[in-house]
Amino acid sequence: MSKYKIIEIKESVFEDNNRRADLLRGELEKEKTFLLNLMSSPGSGKTTTLVRTIDALKDEISIGIMEADIDSDVDAKTISKTGVKVIQLHTRGMCHLDAEMTRQGLQGLDTQGIDLAILENVGNLVCPAEFDTGASKNAMILSVPEGDDKPLKYPLMFSIVDVLLVNKIDAMDFFDFDLEAVKERVTKLNPKIKIIPISAKTGEGIDQWADWLRCEVKKWNEK
Amino acid sequence: MHELGIVIKAVKNVEEFARENNVTKIETLVLQIGALASVIPRFVEECYPMAVKDTMLEDTKLKIEVLPANARCRACEKVFNVLEEKGVCPYCNNEKPEMISGNEFMIKEIIAC
Ligand SMILES: Nc1nc2c(ncn2[C@@H]2O[C@H](COP(=O)(O)OP(=O)(O)OP(=O)(O)O)[C@@H](O)[C@H]2O)c(=O)[nH]1
Ligand SMILES: [Mg+2]
Ligand SMILES: [Zn+2]
Repeated sequence: MSKYKIIEIKESVFEDNNRRADLLRGELEKEKTFLLNLMSSPGSGKTTTLVRTIDALKDEISIGIMEADIDSDVDAKTISKTGVKVIQLHTRGMCHLDAEMTRQGLQGLDTQGIDLAILENVGNLVCPAEFDTGASKNAMILSVPEGDDKPLKYPLMFSIVDVLLVNKIDAMDFFDFDLEAVKERVTKLNPKIKIIPISAKTGEGIDQWADWLRCEVKKWNEK
Repeated sequence: MHELGIVIKAVKNVEEFARENNVTKIETLVLQIGALASVIPRFVEECYPMAVKDTMLEDTKLKIEVLPANARCRACEKVFNVLEEKGVCPYCNNEKPEMISGNEFMIKEIIAC
C-alpha cells in the first residue's frame, strides 16, 4: 500500500492558458499568419459572415478556416463551398477553445502559406471570453434579434474584443433594437473597440469589415 | 453553466503535472477559488464528476478553499476584506481600495502518490 502525500502545484488556470496563448501569438507573428478569433452566441451569423468575408478577400489573401463545434460539421461543409481551406474541430462538450486546442487546430489546418486564419469559436458569450486563444485579434458578433441589452449581461466578452460586428441590421425594423444604446454601452466597457453594423444577408457593411481585416492582416504580416 | 470548461482545463493541467512528476495515483484535488471569481464553487462541485470522467482524476475527491477578497487601501495602505467592509476602508473610510486578491482560480495541490 503506497502512501499519499501532499504535492503542491500552485498554478493559476487562467495564467497558464495566458502564457500558452502569448507563446502561440509570438510564433504566429514569426510565421506571418494572422489569426482572428470570431465569437458570438449560437446563430448570430458567424458562418454566414465568414462566407461573405471570404468572398470579399480570397482573391488577395490566402485564407484558412477552423470551425469549432461541439459535435457537427455542418459549418465546415458550408465554408468548403467557397473553395478555401477549412477544418472542423470537435470540442467534445467543451464550451470554448483554449490556446492549446487552437494550436492543435492550426497544425491540422497547416498554416504554411496562409496569411489569414480564422477560428469560428463555439457559439457562447461567456466561456470563450475567459480563454485567450492566442489570436492576433478578437472579434465578436451581436445580432439584432439577440437584443441591445447583451453588453449589460455579458460585459466581459464586449470588453476584450477588438471589433464588434452588429449583424442582421436588415431585420432592425422587426426588432426593438437600439443601435445607439449598444454603441454607448459597449464603448463604456471598451473605449478602443471598433463597431461595424453589417448584414451578412444583404452584404451591407461587409466592405468596411473587409477593409478593417485587410489592414490588420497587412500590419501583422509586415511586422 | 460555464464552470465545466474551466474545470476540464484544470483537470488537464493536473494530469499534465502528474505525468511530468511521475505521480501515479491521485486521491484528492485541492482548488482555491477567490470569493469574487466568476467561477462559483457550488457549480464546480456539481460538474466535477463530469469533468474527471475517463481521466486520471476519475473518482478523486475535490476540496475547494475560498480565498478572501482582500484589498489595500490607497490612502492608508492597510489591507482589509472588501466584502466584509463593503468596499470602504475600516481604518480611514477611504472608498477607493485596490484589489489584491479574490479573482483566483488556482490548482493549489493534490494529495497523491
Ligand atoms: N436576416 C438575416 N439573417 C441572417 C443574417 N446573417 C445570418 N442570418 C441567418 O441566421 C441564421 C444563423 O446563421 P449562421 O451563420 O449559421 O450563424 P452562426 O453564428 O454560424 O451559428 P452557429 O455556428 O450555430 O453558432 C441562418 O439562418 C442565417 O441565414 C443577416 O444578416 N440577416
Ligand atoms: Mg456557424
Ligand atoms: Zn485606509
